[in-house]
Amino acid sequence: MSYTQHETPALAELCSFLVQDIYGELAARVYSILARYGRQNLNQLVRASYLNRRQISLGLVTLVQSHLVFHSSRVSPVTAYEIDWQQSYALVRFGKVVKSVEDRFGKNASAIVGNLLEHGHTRIGDLKNALFPPQNPSEDYGDEGTNGAGAKRKRANGTNANGADGKVNGIVNGATNGALEEEQGTGAPDKMYLKTVDEFYDAIHLLMQTGWVMKVDEMQYLSPGDYHQVALTQVLDERWNGQMPSGTKDKGNVKKDLCQRKRNIRDAWAEPPQFVKTKRNPNSGTYEQSNKRIKINGTHALPSSGGGDNFDNAEDRLPIRINRDKIAVAMRTDQLVRLAEQRLGTTTARIYEIMLREIESQVPRCFEEWPDPPPDPKSAEPPPPPPTYLVTTREVELRTKDFDICEGLDPQAVSKITGRSLDRNLKMEDPVDPADLGQYQRFELIHAHIDLLSRDPFRFVTWHSGSGHSEWQIEFGEIAQRHIQQEIENTVSARKPQFGLKLIRALKKKGKLDERQAGLTMMIPAAEIRGVVNDLAVQGFVQTQEVPKVERREAKHSIHLIWYDRQRAREKLLHDTYKGMIRIIQRIAFEREKVQAVLEKAERTDVRGNESRFLGRDELDMLNSWKDVEERLLLQLSREDDLVAILRDFHGALISS
Amino acid sequence: MLRLDINKKFEPLRSCVGMHKKLHDHYNFQIIFEMATEPSASATPVKQENGVASAAGTASRFDQLYDKCATSPPGTVFFQRDLSALQVADTMEELLGLINGLCAQHLLKQLLFDNEPCWKLRDRREAEKLRTLTPDEHVLYQHIDQAQNEGVWSKALRAKTNFAQPTLTKCLKSLESKDLVQSIMSVKFPARKMYLLKYLTPSEDIAGGLWQNNGDFDMAMIDELSNAARQKIEELTCVRVPAKWNNYQRSERAAAIAHKKAHVLGLRDIEDGAPVRPYKLPVHGSSTRLVYKSNPTYPTATTMAAWLNGTDVLKGKVARDVDMEQLLEMMVLDGRLEKASAISYRTALNINDTKTLNGFVDAPCGTCPVFDLCADDGDISARTCVYFGEWLGTESEEIY
Repeated sequence: MSYTQHETPALAELCSFLVQDIYGELAARVYSILARYGRQNLNQLVRASYLNRRQISLGLVTLVQSHLVFHSSRVSPVTAYEIDWQQSYALVRFGKVVKSVEDRFGKNASAIVGNLLEHGHTRIGDLKNALFPPQNPSEDYGDEGTNGAGAKRKRANGTNANGADGKVNGIVNGATNGALEEEQGTGAPDKMYLKTVDEFYDAIHLLMQTGWVMKVDEMQYLSPGDYHQVALTQVLDERWNGQMPSGTKDKGNVKKDLCQRKRNIRDAWAEPPQFVKTKRNPNSGTYEQSNKRIKINGTHALPSSGGGDNFDNAEDRLPIRINRDKIAVAMRTDQLVRLAEQRLGTTTARIYEIMLREIESQVPRCFEEWPDPPPDPKSAEPPPPPPTYLVTTREVELRTKDFDICEGLDPQAVSKITGRSLDRNLKMEDPVDPADLGQYQRFELIHAHIDLLSRDPFRFVTWHSGSGHSEWQIEFGEIAQRHIQQEIENTVSARKPQFGLKLIRALKKKGKLDERQAGLTMMIPAAEIRGVVNDLAVQGFVQTQEVPKVERREAKHSIHLIWYDRQRAREKLLHDTYKGMIRIIQRIAFEREKVQAVLEKAERTDVRGNESRFLGRDELDMLNSWKDVEERLLLQLSREDDLVAILRDFHGALISS
Repeated sequence: MLRLDINKKFEPLRSCVGMHKKLHDHYNFQIIFEMATEPSASATPVKQENGVASAAGTASRFDQLYDKCATSPPGTVFFQRDLSALQVADTMEELLGLINGLCAQHLLKQLLFDNEPCWKLRDRREAEKLRTLTPDEHVLYQHIDQAQNEGVWSKALRAKTNFAQPTLTKCLKSLESKDLVQSIMSVKFPARKMYLLKYLTPSEDIAGGLWQNNGDFDMAMIDELSNAARQKIEELTCVRVPAKWNNYQRSERAAAIAHKKAHVLGLRDIEDGAPVRPYKLPVHGSSTRLVYKSNPTYPTATTMAAWLNGTDVLKGKVARDVDMEQLLEMMVLDGRLEKASAISYRTALNINDTKTLNGFVDAPCGTCPVFDLCADDGDISARTCVYFGEWLGTESEEIY
């Protein structure tokens, strides 16, 4: 079973809260039954709850549509349902996903992603009809070609446009902390994004090309166990006549084939489909170009898209959904950049961000769940090297025009590269504008930044090949492990500021130690260690072990060892973080409860928008302070989610060394 | 007192065997001596003393021999030929008599080197004290003397001498009260009491290295020196950059050209507009920040030890490479340094002044003392949490 499909009670509770928050009580009730009892079929579900069959079916429909549960209708006569923990947990990061898509591909794409997240999956044509109601197929399309920023298009049919608009905004707003509030606030009927159907298709294609959006496949609804069975049956049928071979070597081969089969099926989902580009401009095939360029070039008539359910081309009929693996990849980029910023400063982190974004589209996922060859705990052979992703200094240089690349470096290095002298206080006698520098000098400056990255103990980048400084590699696996370690250390040092961090690091470096040895390594009296070890052992970050020296197990005649296991600490911290998130959600509920009366009043249709007129002074105060509190708690929730991503999503199980 | 100085001088040099002839001998000799225990030293000289007739003349001869020996550098080992070369005694028998006499008074210490007897001078005051010892104490003293600065465990002494425990304790106490031996705690085995001669400084093995004092780490000294080392390494690997070190005024030419072009063409498009100005972080005028040097010489334990010994902070003690390595490794564990390579170190920079750890511990739950007791409902829950209340500045539910 996959490593990421572990379920813990804390996670179950957390996910139930999330489902309730987003999909309402009925879905949450059904969900919680599944969370408590595990894999169930409909009859079992009915028996396990007070709900009737109809209600449960309704709940299940919601859950299935949003991919929160797996079902086995493809492989078994009686459909069994099982929770998809990963997807359920992902509910908490919807906002973050929309934000990172917006950062990368602009608002057009983020609007689509927001819709897909809300609906689970949809056919391209349906999504298009929702965003561009077929009654008014972009009527005044013609003038769009020339004016980019100047005039804005007015929609004739206000109600329809607003209907769709509101929906999209609803998600995006909630998610991005009101980044779009301003636009909506003005009440203008025209929107800033997805102005044309063409833009819509462009965005979809871009998202599919980069792997963010993938096809929906029946196999995706299979739980890891079912998926395993299906793949195994396929493999056995093809090569071993449906029989499991008996030899050890053959079994190994089956295992290998099985992994490959699983990979192949999965990879096929994310394969961007080749559409016939009948109604699209040939120029728009290259996605590196900005949308603007396409628009200027393109003045072409758009055939009115067919209404109803019968879409005339394959493209519109294709159901799509968000690719969760890609979300983790984007989050990893963000987290690594944050880490680099903490360690090396903003400018260097910016360079790193450029490097990471450069290869992001090539990286399908953070770690391979079914590696080739399959991991064997017994064999001493090191696992195969992960795929290498290379960035060249040249690629980086192209994207550094808009900030000061001299910052964050040793002034002496800058002075050497630019040939300008420094005064005694390390200030440039003749200040240098990075925009005026020649290309070679800019290369050198960027190289200096990359050098900082590569010298850091995190080894953010590794030199790969090329004379001088041309190609750099990012070893994600190694970095992810160090990152996990770093977060564990952060947690421990917050809890035990004095010796916690030291102890964890000492144990990690030296392995099992007794108190005296630990004291020697940490250079503190052995007696001081005891308290720290006790607390950390209770919290589950270090383990203790007693090895008797004589036959009688006496404390006096035993060796007491302290040790640290990264994987255990990681799981413990992950579990604690889930629990912390539950508490935050509960606290939000509690805080809301306190201002319930005011909230209800504020949400009345007549009060809405006229709060200052209808609400009293103290009611307004309460409302504002509630908003502050909620924002604070939600922010913390999203930061805890970042931690979960670091601990869980960037690296598979840690085989401790 | 004199002895004490010698030993100090010898201590560091003893590790390099064969540097100096005399030292070389001393080294070998120690080892061999440990194997050959001195036979009952008290019995023979008495017999010899009886044989010597003229007491007064000999007594002055004793002093003569002792004084002559004392003129040579302290710690010298005398062989028979060296003593006869002093020309105090006329015949070999007389010389032997003199030597035995001095041994009996504990003024000479008999040793064996390559199965050849040799002697070392003892301080008069020490000899005085030794003469007051009972035979039992004397045996113990010799055993302790043999162990030199490695020290000997009280239980090992008992095994060697076969004394009863009360006798042993009594004798050791008396030796300690006479200021001849000292007892210290072993670092390796904290429960063991190790005995060694008073004037010796205990070896690293039992007293711990530079950083330990009486078996415990000298925290004050470690703090002091690690701070000094941190500063030194920061100096070596980082550079403090003033704000606005590169306070350039952006040339407006490119922007002006673009602007003009746009104006003339009447074109309004973002791509043809002025190129985006490089973004500069707003900086505070007087603030400085640390960045890593571009071509640093990364310090290693060896260079840092040399630096520390050069600064004369240690007051006579010497930091060896291993001591320094221990300190630096500890600082890496601390998070003050980080490894630049397998053997070299550099400062660990934390760019952000504000200490943000991670989402979990920055929330009240991360450091909550009752986190494990917290439940969905009950006395400790999110509703009643005082820490949340404090953090958010809101009221929590009261529990009575």
